[in-house]
Amino acid sequence: MNSVDELKLPARLYGLRMGGLALLGALLAGVCAMALGAGAIRIPVLDVLAGVNSGLESTVFFQIRAPRVLLAGVVGATLAVAGASLQGLFRNPLADPGLIGVSSGGALGAVSMIVMAPALAGAGAAYALPLSAIAGSLAVTAFLYAFASRFGHFSIVTILLVGIALNALANVGIGLFQYLSDDAALRTLTFWMMGSFGSAAWTTVLPAVALMAMAAVPLLRQGRELDLLQLGEPEAFHLGVDVRRTKRRVILCSAVTVGAGVAVSGIIAFIGLVVPHLTRLAIGPNHRYLLAGSALLGAALAMLADTVARTLATPAEIPVSLITSALGAPFFLWLISRVRPK
Amino acid sequence: MFRMLWLSAALLAFHQPAAACETSSDSSRIAVAGGSLTEIIYFLGAEARIVAVDSTSIFPQAASAFPSVGYVRALSAEGLLSLRPTLVLGEDDMGPPEVLAQVGRAGVDIVRVPETHTAAGILDKVRCIAAVLDLADHGESLVREKLDPMVAALESIRVSAAKPPQAALILQMSAGAPTVAGAGTSGDGFLRLARLRNSFAELSGWKPVSPESMAIAQPDYIVITQRATRTGDGLERLAPSPALRAALQGRNGMADGLIAMDGMAMLGFSPRTLEAALDLSRQIH
Repeated sequence: MNSVDELKLPARLYGLRMGGLALLGALLAGVCAMALGAGAIRIPVLDVLAGVNSGLESTVFFQIRAPRVLLAGVVGATLAVAGASLQGLFRNPLADPGLIGVSSGGALGAVSMIVMAPALAGAGAAYALPLSAIAGSLAVTAFLYAFASRFGHFSIVTILLVGIALNALANVGIGLFQYLSDDAALRTLTFWMMGSFGSAAWTTVLPAVALMAMAAVPLLRQGRELDLLQLGEPEAFHLGVDVRRTKRRVILCSAVTVGAGVAVSGIIAFIGLVVPHLTRLAIGPNHRYLLAGSALLGAALAMLADTVARTLATPAEIPVSLITSALGAPFFLWLISRVRPK
Repeated sequence: MFRMLWLSAALLAFHQPAAACETSSDSSRIAVAGGSLTEIIYFLGAEARIVAVDSTSIFPQAASAFPSVGYVRALSAEGLLSLRPTLVLGEDDMGPPEVLAQVGRAGVDIVRVPETHTAAGILDKVRCIAAVLDLADHGESLVREKLDPMVAALESIRVSAAKPPQAALILQMSAGAPTVAGAGTSGDGFLRLARLRNSFAELSGWKPVSPESMAIAQPDYIVITQRATRTGDGLERLAPSPALRAALQGRNGMADGLIAMDGMAMLGFSPRTLEAALDLSRQIH
């Protein structure tokens, strides 16, 4: 049996991990610069930043592009951290907020709020929408955990099957609301199904970002607990992990980050699945580094996908989920082919 | 006190789009979001001012040569602004609202043209756009010369008061279940323009219906978008549909009673819609 000490890395490995993280950080900085520089309008970014240019370019840069890039980055980072945490909690490499229904739960929460309280969609939307989306995500995650721990012992297949069922249930709810809603509400509903960072404005982005960051920080600090949980729950308990508290924290915090993200940007597919795996390939499975690395890579990938979405078909744009799914779905298949033979 | 009022008025003006149908301060470069609006700008002969259209602007064909800013309900703020419009002229349903708010904050005039699904609504729409483009007189004379006669012709149609002919309008056939126009839709308005009673007036909005409810409704005519038939003469393709069979039972073959028309012409509520309604009414009354 492993001992706690083995989880502390030798100096050489520690250096490698930190080097990996630094590389991911550099990648994120590069992608961020590119995302801020690219778009339908050619913006002399340095002039704008220096305050030399104060015309349309400056407005577009500060009011449209900057909040959008920030939103994409934070949603990508938190989705990836939530994905890595859920994969750790369920001890399941295929757990992903999208695949297991957490995102759909959030969308159902948001959609029900739009249809049942359309007046709120204006004024109180900045708070009411994220809260109901979070409630939806939380319900799914908690149910999934309760169901799986009672019947399935977290087998990979069980979690995915329950996820399929929960996704289907959430879609029933969304379909029902679509049927009930009038034309005006229907317009807003399609937005939640497609996913987009295009509606980003500081007034909606800042509360959501604050919420997502507040929930992501506790997740980032669960590295040691998640590492020990990989040995099994009783083992982790005997090694001094407060298992119940860890579980509650991971479930609550991932639901909050995913729900808040869904409320402002709709469902962004596959980031939570792909990023933790790529990060593991880059810097290994130790959660202390994995979580931070996932945040960096998740932000970079989401910004990159959004940049492609808004520059490929200018002046129109394509749904960002189309791009993340085109990357993620084949990756998912490849993962299944690697996981199954065990 | 007055200063407070001015201040709040200024704040409101900053947050809300320009009032519809007032002459825009600068309509030299227009981004159009909505097929019927593009048609009306061409109708007014002001197409030289268009710099961009949305993906529903497919008539006249020349309009598709402009850069496309995407679907009318999924516009992109930066994409719109990159074409340097001075005015975004949009249909009632353009969006998302957050994107338009962003564009408004960049100092571009945003006008949302109101829409009512009646003949008067079409004339008002033409007048509204003419006013926004500072072409009010020209617009009024075009309305009088070209549109008023069509409206008069539609109003002069005689229908039996005891048993007015009724019809169902099908937007699309998905998986054999037709999506029909209920009350409050453009399709409902179009049927009424052509002096037809809507068989599904008790539904509200566009709704998918089952073959059985088509059988109960027993419309005298089914008006269907050409898009739903895929090709102009694709009516036979729909022949096996149980929904249509049920609705048109007792008739001589499918072609009888099933009328395919250009969807944008019927449902856009532009001048073309008056022509389409006249065309339809000539086929049946």
